Amino acid sequence: MTTTELRTMTDGEIRELCNRFFDAYQDKRVDILDEVLADDCIIWHNVFGRETTKADNLSKYHDSYDGQRRRTYDDRTINTFDDGFVIQYSLNGVMTNGHRGSLWICIVARVRDGRITRIDEYMDSSKFAAWAGAPTAATSGGQR
Amino acid sequence: MTTTTGQRSTDTVHRELCHALFDALERGDVDAVARCYAPEMTLWANITGHEQTRDENLASIEKGKELLRRRTYDDRQIHTFDDGFVAQYTVTAVTHDGTRRALWACLVAEVHDGLITKLFDYLDSSKFGVPDR
Repeated sequence: MTTTELRTMTDGEIRELCNRFFDAYQDKRVDILDEVLADDCIIWHNVFGRETTKADNLSKYHDSYDGQRRRTYDDRTINTFDDGFVIQYSLNGVMTNGHRGSLWICIVARVRDGRITRIDEYMDSSKFAAWAGAPTAATSGGQR
Repeated sequence: MTTTTGQRSTDTVHRELCHALFDALERGDVDAVARCYAPEMTLWANITGHEQTRDENLASIEKGKELLRRRTYDDRQIHTFDDGFVAQYTVTAVTHDGTRRALWACLVAEVHDGLITKLFDYLDSSKFGVPDR
C-alpha cells in the first residue's frame, strides 16, 4: 500500500488543467507544458499507433511549428470524468505563406494529482495536406 | 460526477447504452441501433465534417452491412459523464475476400433520458486501405 494519498480532482480543476494545457500549447509555453504533464506521461496518436514520452514530445515541440506562423486551439468542448477528460476542438493554423488550415481533433486524457498522465489523440491524417496548404489537397477542414 | 437514476447510476446506464450501440452495430441489427437513438439524434464525423440525421445514419448502417463479412468493436474503453460518454475502441472489419482491417477510433456521445442525442466520431480515414494492422 502506498502511504501517499492522491486527491481526486474536481470537475473544475480538471477543466482548468485542460485549458491550461491547450493555452500553453498555443502560446508556445514549454515551461508550462512541463508543469502540467506528469513526468511519466504517455502520448499516443491514432495516426501513428505508438506511444511517445513526455521528453520526446517536449523536445520536438518547436519543430512541430515548422512552416506555421500561428496555431490556436478553438471551439473547445470539454467533458470530465473521475480521472480525466475528453476534449473536442478545432486546431486552426496560419502557415508562414498565409494559408489557413483547420483540423478537427479529439483528445482523451487521464489525470492524477493535478497533472496529465496520458493523452490519446484522434485525428484524420488525410486532412494534413489541406491543413498545410499542399497543392494536391482535395479536402479542407472547417468549423465543427 | 455520477448521479443515480432509480436503481442504477448514470454511469451504469450510459455504459449499458454504449455497449448496446456497439453490440447492435456488430450484429448489423439496425432496429436495435435505432432503439439507442433519440428521434432528433445526429451524427457528426471528423472525416466528412458533415452531420447526419438519425434516418440518414440508419440508412447508411443498413447499406454498409453489404460491404463487409464481419465488423467488431473491440478494446472498448468507456468513460461516462453526466450527459454522455466517450468510447475509445478498435473497429475490426473483415471484407468478403477475407482481408482484415482495423483502425482506432473515438466516439463521443451526448445522452438525454437514456437515449443518444448526438454522436461525434473521430478516426483516421487513411487507415481504411491498410490491411492487417
